[in-house]
Amino acid sequence: MPAVLSIAPHLVPVGVSTAVATALVGLLMLTHIQFAAFQQGGAMLAALFDFLGMVRRDERQTRFARGMLKTMALAFTIGSALAIFAVMILFTGLWSHFWVKLLRILFWPLVVEAGAFVLEIIALYTLYVGWDRLGRVRPLRVGLELVLVIDLFVQMLMINFVASYMLTPRPAFDLPLILLNPTLLPLEVHRLIGNVAFAGALVALVAGWRMLRARTPAQRAYADWMGAIGAVTAISFTALQPLVGWEYAKEVQLHAYASWYDMMLGGLSVAFLFQMFLLGLILTAGIFFFWRRVRTSGFRSPTLALCAVLSLGAWLLGATPSSLAWTYEQVFAANANVPIWNGGLLIPFGQMIPWKLTALVAFTFVSITAVTVFLREVSRGHLRWGEARRSQAVALITMGVAVSLIMALMGFIRENARGPFLITNQMLINQQQNFVPPSSAGPAQAGAAAGANLVLGGP
Amino acid sequence: MSVEPRRSKLVARLTHPVARPLASVYRWVDERMGISDLVYKALYEAVPRRGAWTYTLGSVTLIIIALQIVTGMFLLWSYVPSTTEAWLSLNYLAHHNEFGAIVRGMHLWGAYVLLLVIGLHMVRTFVSGSYKKPRELNWITGVILFLLVLALGITGAMLPWDQAAFWTTVVTTHVLSYVPLLGHWLQEVWRGGNQVGPVTLTRTFAIHIWLLPALLVPLIGLHIYLLRRHGEHGSWVNYRNDPEESERERADRVLRAEPPYPAVPSDPAYSVPDDLDEFFPSQVGKDAIVSFVAVLIIFVMAVVVGSPLEAPANAASLTYVPTPEWFFLPLDQLLVQFPQAWMIPVGVFIIPGLASTLLIMVPFLDRSPDREPWKRPQLMVPALFTLLFLIFEALLGVNRLFNL
Repeated sequence: MPAVLSIAPHLVPVGVSTAVATALVGLLMLTHIQFAAFQQGGAMLAALFDFLGMVRRDERQTRFARGMLKTMALAFTIGSALAIFAVMILFTGLWSHFWVKLLRILFWPLVVEAGAFVLEIIALYTLYVGWDRLGRVRPLRVGLELVLVIDLFVQMLMINFVASYMLTPRPAFDLPLILLNPTLLPLEVHRLIGNVAFAGALVALVAGWRMLRARTPAQRAYADWMGAIGAVTAISFTALQPLVGWEYAKEVQLHAYASWYDMMLGGLSVAFLFQMFLLGLILTAGIFFFWRRVRTSGFRSPTLALCAVLSLGAWLLGATPSSLAWTYEQVFAANANVPIWNGGLLIPFGQMIPWKLTALVAFTFVSITAVTVFLREVSRGHLRWGEARRSQAVALITMGVAVSLIMALMGFIRENARGPFLITNQMLINQQQNFVPPSSAGPAQAGAAAGANLVLGGP
Repeated sequence: MSVEPRRSKLVARLTHPVARPLASVYRWVDERMGISDLVYKALYEAVPRRGAWTYTLGSVTLIIIALQIVTGMFLLWSYVPSTTEAWLSLNYLAHHNEFGAIVRGMHLWGAYVLLLVIGLHMVRTFVSGSYKKPRELNWITGVILFLLVLALGITGAMLPWDQAAFWTTVVTTHVLSYVPLLGHWLQEVWRGGNQVGPVTLTRTFAIHIWLLPALLVPLIGLHIYLLRRHGEHGSWVNYRNDPEESERERADRVLRAEPPYPAVPSDPAYSVPDDLDEFFPSQVGKDAIVSFVAVLIIFVMAVVVGSPLEAPANAASLTYVPTPEWFFLPLDQLLVQFPQAWMIPVGVFIIPGLASTLLIMVPFLDRSPDREPWKRPQLMVPALFTLLFLIFEALLGVNRLFNL
């Protein structure tokens, strides 16, 4: 043991099984992603509504922005603690070889990430503590919120450098090419949109909860308005996701075919199908809310009713597995008679063209139409805030929970699609777990060091 | 505030030259041609006061188009439109003629900035609802002008006859073959045969310097005529629409309005801006400042970045990966999403064709009297989605630009 420690203890993982190490990091990071995503989306909504509140002198919008920032500050304490715990304890202890290598390769993006983290603390807590005082100079407050938005954008970009590199590392030896890898931009766009949709969905969830608990008409009216804001944001941005997600998948297909195969036709296709189910649930619940909310105020909208029906149809089309096994022969053909841990129960995601694609295109167009019609009704003054019913509150809560689930599921799929690699074609999970550092500074180690320098662009 | 047209000292100097020897000549010409009246009519009109900086985009567009014509003329002195000489003539400019290299850079960057400025101009017009009655034709001519500028951009990219230009020509003329029924015929007409070759370059050159400008210039004239006829609409901030103003008071205000407001009967609430300013010198001054900045940016980019010239065209190359011009990235990315042969026409024609038609039809799709964007969600929301779609497509298309 002392001999091992004296060699390179910092590179030898703590002795737990791969399954435990994966589960611990996975659980922690999937939880952390929820907080981080909310920070980015929430900051955008807060800045937008504070700006609108300033320009239009609308107290309700200002109140919304304040509530959002206050929640962000509280959420930040938990989210950042999770991140620090993951980095300081779990990564260093359980994935040390991998973590050191990644840190060496992506050193500068992670330094920028740390800097952006510090700026986030300064901006967010300045806004939290000095909200009223900054309110005396509203443009200054909105400006600070804009700084926060840009800072969080940079933060997400830095993390996306890491995540995309792990999936599609470029066979190159200089940092710019490593950073600008094939899945960086699709992932960045996908996450940016997703984070705003997620923040909107959480707003809708909280609004739905408040609607159910509201005691006064004023409370009900605010919760109703907030629910509409959340639903419009969530559905609008989720409507863009099928297209961007499709393009992301295409890049994965082109540059990490094994991962793509696993997601679409292999073991992860079950999870991907469940993702399709959740997407349908989100959009259908949101469109149902629009339709019924307008109806509650006494206005019929046949277009919204049609949108709800079409969304339901697209949901069914999208979430149906390609292999529906009714007979034993079909069960056998679908490999559903073998336990999942032995490679069974593979339900291929299905024929992307034309069925799933049709469902995705339908989701997009139906959602855009529904948002447009709903906003037209709002602009015509057809909605009286505070009239939302229980079923509409439940629809909002359902949407919020489904968006939260889909965020976690997408993280799970992305992180597992690389298997058995930690970094596609460069580092196996087993390699890192069974890593044994070289025993002496002999030719082998010298060669490895030279190789590392080549990768890192060092001397 | 109503504007009382008056001749400032500056204009007096413009229309009546100080120099005595020229004054008599000027008067002689002026009596026969009416230059003073023309200048007076060109410079004096009422424009909305609020939001004036955003109304400079049209003028900037005009200035950059003029710059494109001038730099294009200079390039014609050196450029030889033949497959054997085109690349050599531009290579000569790049390495042996510093002035020529800058002019070519300005022509290229002028095109890029022009597309951005036209895009902003269209967004401004769209958001402010300036396409509504009686300005529908202003919008339609504007959209056609935008499409013509795009066509000028793509044909211009084919002329250097380097690898990028050659393969752009191959791809663009190939795309034409997907036009239903007429596709192959159109492709052969443009290519001058089955393959891209010398005739293709000659025809592309003719399209770029004759055909498209011949359509562009009269259409600009029509666009400006329509603008002067109906006046600058501005945006909703220029129309207070005081609820306490009676119908009679409003009718009186419209009747007493400064020409060109209102040229033809339209919605009384948006016939005459509340607060007017003079086109000259107030608006012209702002136009000049923004135009100067735009031209300066073009010049700096031309000097600092310049214009690329890749290796000479090589039809036998097996390794070259063609990349589109940045303004075609969304369309290129759209094609990536429709990989199967039967789907290509969807990405190439159906979606872009539908989008162009809808863009032209905007004034007829939105006939509501409202000008505020938040009161027009039926158009603003789909437009916002389309804009986001284009931006994301372009971002995702960057992968193609860097051959990722």
